[in-house]
Amino acid sequence: MEHRVVITGIGLVTPIGTGCATVWRNLLAGRCSFAPVEAYDTRDFSVHYGAEVKEFSATHYLLNTDVETIGRASQFAIAASRLALEDAGLVLDTIGPEQVGVSMGTTSGEPLEIERFDDCFVNEKLERVGAEFMARYPCHNISANIASEFELGGLNIVIPTACAAGNYAVAYAFDALRTGRASVMLAGGADPFSRITYTGFARLGAIAPEICQPFDRHRKGMIPGEGAGVLVLETLAGAIGRGARIYAEVTGYGLSCDAHHMTAAHPESDGAVRAMEEALRSSGTRAEDVSYISAHGTGTLTNDRLETIAVKRLFKQAAYRLPISSIKSMIGHTMGAASAIETAVCALAIHQDRIPPTMNLIEPDPECDLDYVPNQAREHKVNVAMNNAYAFGGNNSSLILKKCEV
Amino acid sequence: MRQVVITGDGLISSLGDHRTVLHTALCDGRSAIKPPEFFSTEKLGCTLACEITAFDAQKYLGKRNLRPLDRTARLVAAAAQLALEDSGFTDEMKVHEAVGLVLGTMFGSIHTISEFDRRALTAGPSYASPMDFANTVISAATGQTAIMQNLRGVNSTISTGASSGLQAIAYAADLIRMGSARALLAGGAEELCFESFYGFERAGLLCPSNNGDQVKYPIPFDVRRGGFLLGEGAALLMLEDASRARERGARVLAEVKGTGSAFDSSRGKNGEKAIKAIAHAARLALKDAELQPNSIDCLSASASGSLRVDRHEAHAMADVFASAAQKLPVTAIKSMLGETLGAAGALQVIALMETMRDRVLPGIRGLEETDGDFPLTMISPQNRQVDVSFGLVNSISFDGHCCSLVLARYP
Amino acid sequence: MNAIEIRTAVKRTISTTANLETAEIGDNASYKDDLKLDSLTILEIAVGLEYEFKIKIPDEELSEIRTVGDSVRIIQQYLA
Repeated sequence: MEHRVVITGIGLVTPIGTGCATVWRNLLAGRCSFAPVEAYDTRDFSVHYGAEVKEFSATHYLLNTDVETIGRASQFAIAASRLALEDAGLVLDTIGPEQVGVSMGTTSGEPLEIERFDDCFVNEKLERVGAEFMARYPCHNISANIASEFELGGLNIVIPTACAAGNYAVAYAFDALRTGRASVMLAGGADPFSRITYTGFARLGAIAPEICQPFDRHRKGMIPGEGAGVLVLETLAGAIGRGARIYAEVTGYGLSCDAHHMTAAHPESDGAVRAMEEALRSSGTRAEDVSYISAHGTGTLTNDRLETIAVKRLFKQAAYRLPISSIKSMIGHTMGAASAIETAVCALAIHQDRIPPTMNLIEPDPECDLDYVPNQAREHKVNVAMNNAYAFGGNNSSLILKKCEV
Repeated sequence: MRQVVITGDGLISSLGDHRTVLHTALCDGRSAIKPPEFFSTEKLGCTLACEITAFDAQKYLGKRNLRPLDRTARLVAAAAQLALEDSGFTDEMKVHEAVGLVLGTMFGSIHTISEFDRRALTAGPSYASPMDFANTVISAATGQTAIMQNLRGVNSTISTGASSGLQAIAYAADLIRMGSARALLAGGAEELCFESFYGFERAGLLCPSNNGDQVKYPIPFDVRRGGFLLGEGAALLMLEDASRARERGARVLAEVKGTGSAFDSSRGKNGEKAIKAIAHAARLALKDAELQPNSIDCLSASASGSLRVDRHEAHAMADVFASAAQKLPVTAIKSMLGETLGAAGALQVIALMETMRDRVLPGIRGLEETDGDFPLTMISPQNRQVDVSFGLVNSISFDGHCCSLVLARYP
Repeated sequence: MNAIEIRTAVKRTISTTANLETAEIGDNASYKDDLKLDSLTILEIAVGLEYEFKIKIPDEELSEIRTVGDSVRIIQQYLA
């Protein structure tokens, strides 16, 4: 028999704050986080804005790990994990450590480590690279560092499927729990602000000068961000057994690949539609029952247009009555963390029956003519939420969350 | 529950690009160990690796534009081409059915990432290569291969260090068992490059090539071992739901009977915990396969010459197999292929399928004497006649990730 | 450097980036319509040429390049 899987804890580290309650409050208030980049000098770039996590004190969350031994993504990830466990009221001692797993998504892993390597390389100071490079850089360290901090011996995996990675990690955790390979999973995503990522998106002309305004007629691109989102997922039976608060139930997902182009989505959104269809099918949900979509909504010209086409292709006329929003309008594109944070948003929307807005949507694009919940949070009964995320390589992912009915 | 079978494979390795060629090389005790040609190891303690110097992607992929693909992606796309051909998946079939790809890799292409960054650093960010940027994501090879081979199903990348490839196979097998996918290419890949080589060297994990008085060897389980040598390669299996494979009349090479994974939260630093995690993964795989340890006919060990991990693995297997450990034939093909990181587990599965067919288990090249307290006794440099119904494959990363898989003869 | 030399260099970059024979590339071929290149490849060619010629073409001008002839003309202009 397959287990039902529920979300019972949320931990967030974002550019608009740390902790589930703070972030949710700021999202509903429409608070944006865009500011000139502080992580490095952007003098030679044509763009200068980012969405960085400021005032983050890693040592506050790292109780068993030396902060010097791990990268920034791992620091965010451990902080988000600790917050999620606290939020879930879960005492790990009561569960066998081998029953608790970790699955994390990321785009770049610990890019600051390879950037330091490159700095040494170009300055002919490679001897300054020591054993710490291999200990910190490889991306599998993100989930490993979480497990070491909390002494977890269960499944441990990083799924680096770029900007859709958070959804992949949650989908992995969902499978692990329903098949009984774990009793509790910490699942999410993490990415730090990266020079490499910023350079690349700047070169592609995909970064907006000051604000991210998904679905707006004059949108100019995305704003790179950073952060982590971690969810506590457990079996419904386990959650009921310990009297846990349940945010939402995970009921299915769909993953697909355009097999079309590395950086450009399929012109008819073929893969995105297939991922949504599979998510609905696998979760036994009818399209008309979906009450909210958390969009990928990066704010680039192409993404927002194609994403709108995809939703219309699947939902037909119902698409016009379906609220869709993009929190990237506030926290920027947090890369591998993005869809994990957005999964948390879906869970909170279901739990609170409120939808965070798409900010900075001033003049609607005629090609983006759906209800994007512009500029103002909304009270709305959310029984079923769909979380969409897309990535380089033509990766498409859709996740379905529902109000948990016991 | 659905049965998961292997209906084909594709590999690019330093010992050949076909399973039989690889098996023969392993049984002949050949290895590709030599100084790498793609980068200099001058001033480094380790000067050897298992490089696929002669790899020519065009041979497998034809005249298509390969510029968008870096070395890792070319290795994977070539292995995918071979696996699709070997399993009889035509272009026509891929149109009707969305075949997926689950790829294990530790780094993706650390070389591409680093080179992209260095050009931007030295010339200025506006000169950064847009095409290379697309390949700086760790999942780039998975995406590029999907584009080249029209793989429209699940497209996932798995990173668990040196166990990434086997972990990817384990995940893919679960997806098929659950009915989430019907046909998946699964395995792993890693390229050899200066950046990772230098990192491992600085971490003290590579076997020194010249260590003064006391010569060290990259020989798994040997008392003289002094670390591993890096290798490279790509290996993919075509995994299918057995009933579907039967329906389409596919030839079946073997069955994935069970898998198990565990993590050592001490990251290999606490011997007791490390051994426990390795043993736990193997026990979970046996349980998943509904088998007792004494049903296992041979072990493809993860052992690579690593001082710590080889010891942990030997003791963990002794714990799992108890008295049967004395009768368990063991091989460790990293003695000849090097530590191919993401590709390692998938290469081990492919080699084991050949052992099942040919009934010969390759010996461990160069092995003279095992550590005195190693509880496994059937480890030797000589090949061994074996009759394998069930084999166990271990893939253990030096920093904590453990994965095991039970492979079964089919039917 | 004269226009012919620049054109040869431009075609060489197109050839290695897009896997086309230089003979297939017309002097005034459109990247998109004639050579059937996608925007990433076109941008890669443009940036590759900037890098090769050590020139900096503003992004606005870069996005106006449609043909091989445009590339040659703009490079010549920025080399001057």
